[in-house]
Amino acid sequence: QEAAKYEKKVMVLDFVTATPLGNSWGLGGTCVNVGCIPKKLMHQAALLGQALQDSRKFGWQFTEEVKHNWMTMTESVQNYIGSLNWGYRVALREKKVTYENAYGEFVGPHTVKVLPSHVCWVFLLYFLNRAERFLIATGERPRYLGIPGDKEYCISSDDLFSLPYCPGKTLVVGASYVALECAGFLVGLGLDVTVMVRSILLRGFDQDIANKIGEYMEEHGINFIREFVPIKVGSKWELHDTLKTIKLQCAGVASNRKKCMHKKNWFGRDACTRKIGLDKVGVKINEKTGKIPVNDEEQTNVPYIYAVGDILQDKLELTPVAIQAGRLLVQRLYAGATCKCDYVNVPTTVFTPLEYGACGYSEETAVEKFGEENIEVYHSHFWPLEWTVPSRDNNKCYAKIICNIQDNERVIGFHVLGPNAGEVTQGFAAAIKCGLTKEQLDSTIGIHPVCAE
Amino acid sequence: WEEKQVRGYPEFVQTGRSAHGRPIFALFCGDKDAEGRSWCPDCVTAEPVVRKELHNMPDESVFIYCLVGDRAYWKDPNNEFRKNLKLTGVPTLLKYGTPQKLVEEECFKAELVRMLFTED
Repeated sequence: QEAAKYEKKVMVLDFVTATPLGNSWGLGGTCVNVGCIPKKLMHQAALLGQALQDSRKFGWQFTEEVKHNWMTMTESVQNYIGSLNWGYRVALREKKVTYENAYGEFVGPHTVKVLPSHVCWVFLLYFLNRAERFLIATGERPRYLGIPGDKEYCISSDDLFSLPYCPGKTLVVGASYVALECAGFLVGLGLDVTVMVRSILLRGFDQDIANKIGEYMEEHGINFIREFVPIKVGSKWELHDTLKTIKLQCAGVASNRKKCMHKKNWFGRDACTRKIGLDKVGVKINEKTGKIPVNDEEQTNVPYIYAVGDILQDKLELTPVAIQAGRLLVQRLYAGATCKCDYVNVPTTVFTPLEYGACGYSEETAVEKFGEENIEVYHSHFWPLEWTVPSRDNNKCYAKIICNIQDNERVIGFHVLGPNAGEVTQGFAAAIKCGLTKEQLDSTIGIHPVCAE
Repeated sequence: WEEKQVRGYPEFVQTGRSAHGRPIFALFCGDKDAEGRSWCPDCVTAEPVVRKELHNMPDESVFIYCLVGDRAYWKDPNNEFRKNLKLTGVPTLLKYGTPQKLVEEECFKAELVRMLFTED
């Protein structure tokens, strides 16, 4: 859309290879269809369940038992996603961007082959398109476990948000933010959830906070099976088969059998860079990870080919980062701008049942980079006012900042664990970008009574 | 494809039900006076654009041309079209049962109307 603003002729090739279950989706990428958007909505559904429970203490009276209907929620979520898909179609058309729901592949310099999904593959009909410049933003897809039965009996986040039936008792394999967020809302909706973790939770995030998140989830109904990995998934058909039961054989000190309805699979995400003909145009990728190294102007080793988003090597995998990088790139190319994307101090939030907002260094990374004696950590537990009346945990919410003593006690890390963590963190990210110091923070008067103060 | 002309919310719902199973497209406009002119100037602009693209609809489609009511009825924030169909403006052209719709000036653009009629 940005390039079209500068009178460039633009084509977008967007194609979704169906999941093993046959699932696909519309225009908008992972975030809109099978990521941030449906995730946050389902997280909200779970939060509302909690709020209903709390409400009794605030005087609300209802005699019926409160239950959750998966289909109603999923339908509403998918409907909203549909309106976003449509909105993008309209926006692209209005800006005269050519959109093809088709698979694109480089075949030679400045040339892509476009395979429309509706065209008969038998006739191998395709179209060649040439362009001055190309931007690769193909993102990633879930990587399956690679064990027997994984594709037949497991689903991934690609399938979860549009699953046409309630997943029921679920085993989540993995402890990334995707795994924990999904496990979190599933249990919040009333399901029986177990998380199987190979080693640590939330690799790459502040581990002190990660452990607090894990503790909270455990105390709130999620079973964790730690230091186990699945080695086989199978199904046992009963005579009067009403439910599929899944027997899981797990590696570990003692063999463990878990029966559950659905197993959700998380073993990372793979960049979609291996089958788009990058070798035909000489774009270098990291052979092991599939990621594309770029310079600080998002340019690959081939000068007319650029890349943004999750496929970039050593860059943050976040929607707003990709959007910002893309916009600034186009402005540099066509509007004479010079501003490069700032990948430092990018705020993020993990929407686990106890939300976690962060900006800047984790404590361990700060210690590693600056030395323990050169950083000062200020921290505090807090009890949200809204949690007092319903007697919710008074010692779980937590905030800490990490300061660089050698630089005026500049705030180099911000971490908050509590409700509305995303809303709280956003403003602090702007302050950190401006070089917030501990003294400035101290002299900022708090808003009362809120968690952020 | 066939066209059905209705006026008011209950008639719209009834006609929508009778066409169940077929793709249904609906254009909502303000009432027309004795001379056939709508009180809604945007509807006057949009109608010919939409009519010109009708041949792009799938064969079995039903096109419902719906007059919503007079200006006062439309301005009422609680009218049935706003409440039940979540309409926010007239003209609105939508594919019934999907989130796909075009509102106000979007209906002036033949390309967008064609996209609505032909896309999945």
